[in-house]
Amino acid sequence: MRVARQPLWTVGFLAPSVALIGVFVLVPIGLTLWLSLHEWSTATPFSEASWVGLDNFKALFEGAIVGRDFRQSWRNTFVYAGLSIALILPLSVVLGIIIQRSTIRGRTVLRTVLFATYTIPMIAVAIVWSKLYSPSEGPINEALGWFGIAPQPWLSSTSTALVSLVFLNVWQQLGYFTVLVVAGLTQISPSVFEAAALDGARTLKLHAYVTIPLLRRTLLFCVVIALINAIQVFEPVVAITQGGPVGSTNVLTYHIRQVGIERSQGGLASAMAVMLLLSLMVVVTFVFALARRAEDR
Amino acid sequence: MLRRSRWLTTVALGAVSALALAACGGGDDSGGGTAAAPTGGGGEQVEISFLTHWAPDQVAKLESVVDAYEQEHPNVSIEVRAVPFADLLTTLRSQAGSDNGPTMAGIYDLWLPELVRDGVVAEAPEAQAAEIQSEWPANLAAAASVDGKVYGFPNEVDLYALNYNKKLFEEAGISEPPATWDELVADAEKLTKRDGDRITQQGFGLISSWAAGTVHPWTSLLYSNGGELIDEAGRPALDTPQALQTFELVENLVGKAKVTDPAMSTADANTTGPYLESFVSGKTAMIIMANWWESALKAGMKEAFEDVATAPIPVGPSGDGPHPVSYSWMTVVNGKADDAEQQAAWDFLDYLNSPESGTDGASAMAELLQSMGILPSRTSDLEAYADELDRPFLKGYTEQLENAKPFPIVLGGQEFTEALQKDLEALQAGQITAREAQERAQADAESVLGAAG
Repeated sequence: MRVARQPLWTVGFLAPSVALIGVFVLVPIGLTLWLSLHEWSTATPFSEASWVGLDNFKALFEGAIVGRDFRQSWRNTFVYAGLSIALILPLSVVLGIIIQRSTIRGRTVLRTVLFATYTIPMIAVAIVWSKLYSPSEGPINEALGWFGIAPQPWLSSTSTALVSLVFLNVWQQLGYFTVLVVAGLTQISPSVFEAAALDGARTLKLHAYVTIPLLRRTLLFCVVIALINAIQVFEPVVAITQGGPVGSTNVLTYHIRQVGIERSQGGLASAMAVMLLLSLMVVVTFVFALARRAEDR
Repeated sequence: MLRRSRWLTTVALGAVSALALAACGGGDDSGGGTAAAPTGGGGEQVEISFLTHWAPDQVAKLESVVDAYEQEHPNVSIEVRAVPFADLLTTLRSQAGSDNGPTMAGIYDLWLPELVRDGVVAEAPEAQAAEIQSEWPANLAAAASVDGKVYGFPNEVDLYALNYNKKLFEEAGISEPPATWDELVADAEKLTKRDGDRITQQGFGLISSWAAGTVHPWTSLLYSNGGELIDEAGRPALDTPQALQTFELVENLVGKAKVTDPAMSTADANTTGPYLESFVSGKTAMIIMANWWESALKAGMKEAFEDVATAPIPVGPSGDGPHPVSYSWMTVVNGKADDAEQQAAWDFLDYLNSPESGTDGASAMAELLQSMGILPSRTSDLEAYADELDRPFLKGYTEQLENAKPFPIVLGGQEFTEALQKDLEALQAGQITAREAQERAQADAESVLGAAG
């Protein structure tokens, strides 16, 4: 009797969430896929979309401006994400270890200050940083001047604009990831560190061979979340650089918005969104595969 | 467990992208052309809104006009919404079909053909259309029209000129602004100061990171060199010798003469930023800009604004005289708003643009525009402000009105502008040569305008 009723209960409990996922996740994904195969102005009803097959995808790989801009924004997005992760991860581990394992005074204050940056809306962070980066009146260039360093162009140069946005992102996100690392560290039994210390492991070796391997799952989570956050970068681009100079900060979210909404080319923008989704699936799968291989070893 | 998490992650990401796009769809597509009737003191309550990119000071002025109008029309409630310039078109496009979308919006004339095609703007009722055609200069009424149908009240006219800092000219021993490209380069060399290889004061500023700010000054130079962006047949005309010379001028200013540092003249989302700061702080000696930035210069420079002078666009070797780019803005009504909202909106715009709403024969719109240094466009407003328009800074612009050539208004015009912006910025950054910029710009223009039909 219990065996027969269980599937019904299961279905009953699962139905609301499955229905919500279906309506708010699967239907929009399906709609985006469908639109990516059509020419459609976002200012008109879906019924006016006309079938173009794979033409939108073809345009993304051709040499004309549509393809050139898409590929540049795709590259910028993943460079931004890669640099963000490369800076956030080690810094959050170092700060996490300092906060969790050291005996310095004011650890709680440090943790609060670090996390506080994460609570500030990105748009506010972007506006403040645009002033900090100002080439003529910015405090950062003034501070560099005290050490005899010439003013830097920051957001105004093709070679530094994207990196400048990465710094802004790292500043805002670091506290959040530090808290995640601290949470991961609390899951490691102190006896492990004591045993390692008895075996002669000192600071660097202790962290390289004990702390970081035991933090692997936390770090994997951090990489995936940092990647998702970075791929979604939008506010600093729209508020400060508008994708410039010379498209050097044109990231996919901003570009999709420009093509899909500003230019009303909904089919083309949908194709870009599909390519972003596919790229993410590949990257996330790759990250998990790497993690699994490391775990197997 | 990991596999499930991975799928949920990717699915959720897809949903975010998809939802953003799906949100743009739908909405009915009822056209424009509703006959408007003045909205009087009685009748049902109508709530409408006015979307603009104006600064807080101008928004406050518009709100005071709204208050006056609402006093006379208690059944109409008008909300003023302001967004940065960079978000204006996106906001209009994404919200036009929604219940809470803007009923009226100030738009750049280049956007009109596509907004008309997509039913986002309504055709002006007969009374307003007739008024616009009779009370505004014919070229501005035409700029607010598509296929002979009027779609909005023209409000501002902008054109470009060479702005220069007289104090820096005196310091460099230059008595007159440059009239030709050769003089422009020679003067810019005298006006440029360096610390080693780094430019600390640029002779000439080239704006970047802003489509119109990059393309309009360059096009003014192109027009003043006898070139065109689009020929009479509607074909891109960037493959001409005149266009190549104009690309080469940029290459010369940045790469050879080294009198321009592109990093000093970037713009932000509000069309302000380093290019404005550099000119205001005396680090840019010359720049080609539109008349509307007068208020920004005054606010930034205070007394030093007296050092700013205006001169015609320097003429190129193939040109017959200065021909600055001109463009206009207009106020349109949402074609997806219901009939009552459209009627109320047209009635308010009629009031806002009529001599009755302002003082001394000028409209409230003209007063508002003049507070920003912008040229009004209604014939009666130009007459009412004749003395004001004669002030030194603006005179340099108004004197060139007869030589000005409009930026081409075509389907795909915004995308065409953005494509040319990228090619010009790549040239400024030294990523491509002048000839490569020309070839790429022509190919991009053919691709964009061809796709737009």
